[in-house]
Parts: sequence; C-alpha cells; structure tokens
Amino acid sequence: MNPHAKLIISLSLITGTTITISSNHWIMAWTGLEINTLAIIPLISKSHHPRAIEASIKYFLTQSAASALILFSSMINAWSTGQWDITQLNNPVSCLMMTMAIAIKLGLAPFHFWFPEVLQGSSLTTALLLSTLMKLPPTILLLLTSQSLNPSLLTLLAISSAVLGGWMGLNQTQTRKILAFSSISHLGWMIVIIIYNPKLTLLTFIIYTTLTSAVFLSLNQSKILKLSTMLISWTKTPMLNATLMLTLLSLAGLPPLTGFMPKWLIIQELTKQEMTPTATIITLLSLLGLFFYLRLAYHSTITLPPNTSNHMKLWYTNKTPNTSTAILTTLSTLLLPLSPLIITMT
Amino acid sequence: MSPFHFSFYTAFTLSSLGLAFHRTHFISALLCLESMMLSMFIPLSLWPIENLTPSFTLVPILMLAFSACEAGTGLAMLVASTRTHGSDHLHTLNLLQC
Repeated sequence: MNPHAKLIISLSLITGTTITISSNHWIMAWTGLEINTLAIIPLISKSHHPRAIEASIKYFLTQSAASALILFSSMINAWSTGQWDITQLNNPVSCLMMTMAIAIKLGLAPFHFWFPEVLQGSSLTTALLLSTLMKLPPTILLLLTSQSLNPSLLTLLAISSAVLGGWMGLNQTQTRKILAFSSISHLGWMIVIIIYNPKLTLLTFIIYTTLTSAVFLSLNQSKILKLSTMLISWTKTPMLNATLMLTLLSLAGLPPLTGFMPKWLIIQELTKQEMTPTATIITLLSLLGLFFYLRLAYHSTITLPPNTSNHMKLWYTNKTPNTSTAILTTLSTLLLPLSPLIITMT
Repeated sequence: MSPFHFSFYTAFTLSSLGLAFHRTHFISALLCLESMMLSMFIPLSLWPIENLTPSFTLVPILMLAFSACEAGTGLAMLVASTRTHGSDHLHTLNLLQC
C-alpha cells in the first residue's frame, strides 16, 4: 500500500476514534463512527482478493446501516426531548434502537454474523484493528448511555453472546474465526456488567485489548492462519509458541494469568448485585471458550504433527520479533498481582 | 403524531426494511442506504427551525456530505465486486461463510 495513503488512513482511524470517544453530542459521535468506517474499508480491501472485497462489502453494509440507525434513534430522542446530549438518552424507543444499533456495530450475539466473516477476509493486522480499535467507539457510546439502557435486554444480549461465541467457535479450524468468536464471547462479559459498574467494562475492554493484541501479533509473526500451520510453527519461533500458549490460556481466563482479573471482578460484582444465576451461567459458558483456547494451545506447543521431517520446515524468513509483541505478552501474562492498582486507577 | 413525523418514520422504516429483506443486488442495498440517509435530511433540517437553534443548521449539510462519502465508497465497492465476482449479486458473496 502507498505510504501516503497508509498515513492518511491511520490518521483518520485515530481521528475518528478520538472524535467519538471525546464527543458530547450525538452528531459528533456519529461523525467519528463514519470516519472510522470509511477509513478501515481500504485496509480490509487492500489485497484486491475476492475474499477481501467480500469482507469489505459485508463490513460496509452492516456498519453503515448501524450508523444510520444510530442517527435515526438519536434524532427521535432529539425531537422528543429537544437536546442531543449523549448521556441524556431518555426516550425509551430511541434507547432500544440505540442498543440494537450499537450491538450491530460491536457484533453482539443476535447481530454477530458479519464479524467472523469480515475477520476471515482480512489480514491479521487488519483483523487486530477490527477486533480492538474498531470496538472502542461503540463501547464508549454504550458506556456513556449506560444509565438509561434496559438491564434485561443487555443481560439477554450478553448471555446470548457468551453462548454463541463459545459454541460456534468449537468447530472452527481457522485462527481468525476462532479469535472472532472469542471476541464475541468477551463482549458478552463486557456487556453483562455495563449497567452495574461501567468502569469495570472499561477495565475488561483494556485487558481484552492487551490479550487479543498479544495473540494476533504472535500469530502474525509466523503468519499462522489455520491450525495446521500452527502445528509446524514451532520450527520457526519456538519461544514465541511457548508464550503464545500462556497468552491463550490468559485469554481463556485461567487464574494465575491476567485474563482472570476481569472475570473475577465481574463475577464478584454480579454476586453483589444479587445476580448469582447470571454469574453462574456466564461462568459456565466460558468453559466452552476454554475448550477452543486449549485446542489452540495444544496445537501450538504440546503436540507434534504426523508429518515427515521434510514437511516440518517452513520456508525460513528472517523476521525479527518486534518489541510490542514482547511487551504485550508480558503484560498479558503477569498483570494479575497488580490488579488492586489497576482497579484504583480505572 | 403529526403528518410530518409519520411520513419521516415511514420513509426511514420502509427503506430499512428494503435493505433488510430485498437482498438480490448490491446496488439496491446502496439505494436503500441512500434513501435512509435522505429521509433523515428533512427532520435534521427542520429541527433548528422548530427549536430556534440556528447553530444547528450546519448539521444537515454535514450529514449529506458524509452520506455522499458513504455512497461513493459503496459505489467503489460495487465496481470492486463486479471485477472480482463478475456481478453485483449478493448471493455470490459466499466465500467466507462458516
């Protein structure tokens, strides 16, 4: 890609996200979302492959329909209450439509069908952007409107996200689709707590971003797109595979690693709010996710493929591992002892 | 509900239903998106007159500009899908299904 175009696109991505997360007016929030959508589309379709074009078409259709719904519901709210403030979403109809529109934008469970396909059609770095940076503005909008949202609807969305994200990820063999479904189930964990403790949602989002970036960057190091490539990737980067296993287990939420912290706090908060059945259901549903994370970890480190030794060796490329992978992997495995500090900081 | 509100809600609802249920051609989806945006131009331009806030009169133009950018991107992807898939039928977009 042309470096000038790349510069403009990355500046637009940063600008759009900043406009949305710092805005107080629905029009500015919508403008930021539109800038984001228009800027990510060249990144998805830059390889001119039929799969990339298909992914960008699906992304464009869902995102622009969701932005139109966001503008429509904020305008209903403005006509009935006379102001455009994000935090003052008082009309119940516009509240419902706004929840739906943001769920489409995020890829929450009844509206999640576009997300794995778009991730499958784009490259690993674009998939990383799509599953972390592109989810930040809708999450912030949901955080800002969280006083007026419907609790039972959000709990329903969260539980169905956890179910579908865990269940549909079980029979996937492509790493990007598995990570897409893991993203959907993590979004379920974020949404279930958003009414009771919005800061905890932000904390969960930050931790999820760190873990997913570490996994995507480690996969990008040896271009692992499917499980069979993962089996022979130890010949290229043996140490990175070992840390990849730890990062995956952290993403699954196993206790001595960072990924346990948001799950722990969310279960604690739900129990405080007398929502023990929801906490039990969503904890049991994370076991489904644990199964496919364990399968990824098994393929990356524990097992050897039944190939002859000639097939073991991938084409060797002298690609030095970058520093951000090391920092993110360290953060995503060792951050649990710092959780009191992080809780007081957020 | 005033006739103005009724016509605006009907226009938006019909075009979003068209986007949701008429899934043959990509160009018809783009037209439905554009009519959703255009149906929102009228209440956006009437809101500052109704509420006497002249500073809001820029917003409909802003919205039109962004919807034009969106339509341009959509047409670019229409060309791209014609070059890669041979047509703009939405049922040919089945390479990435689970």
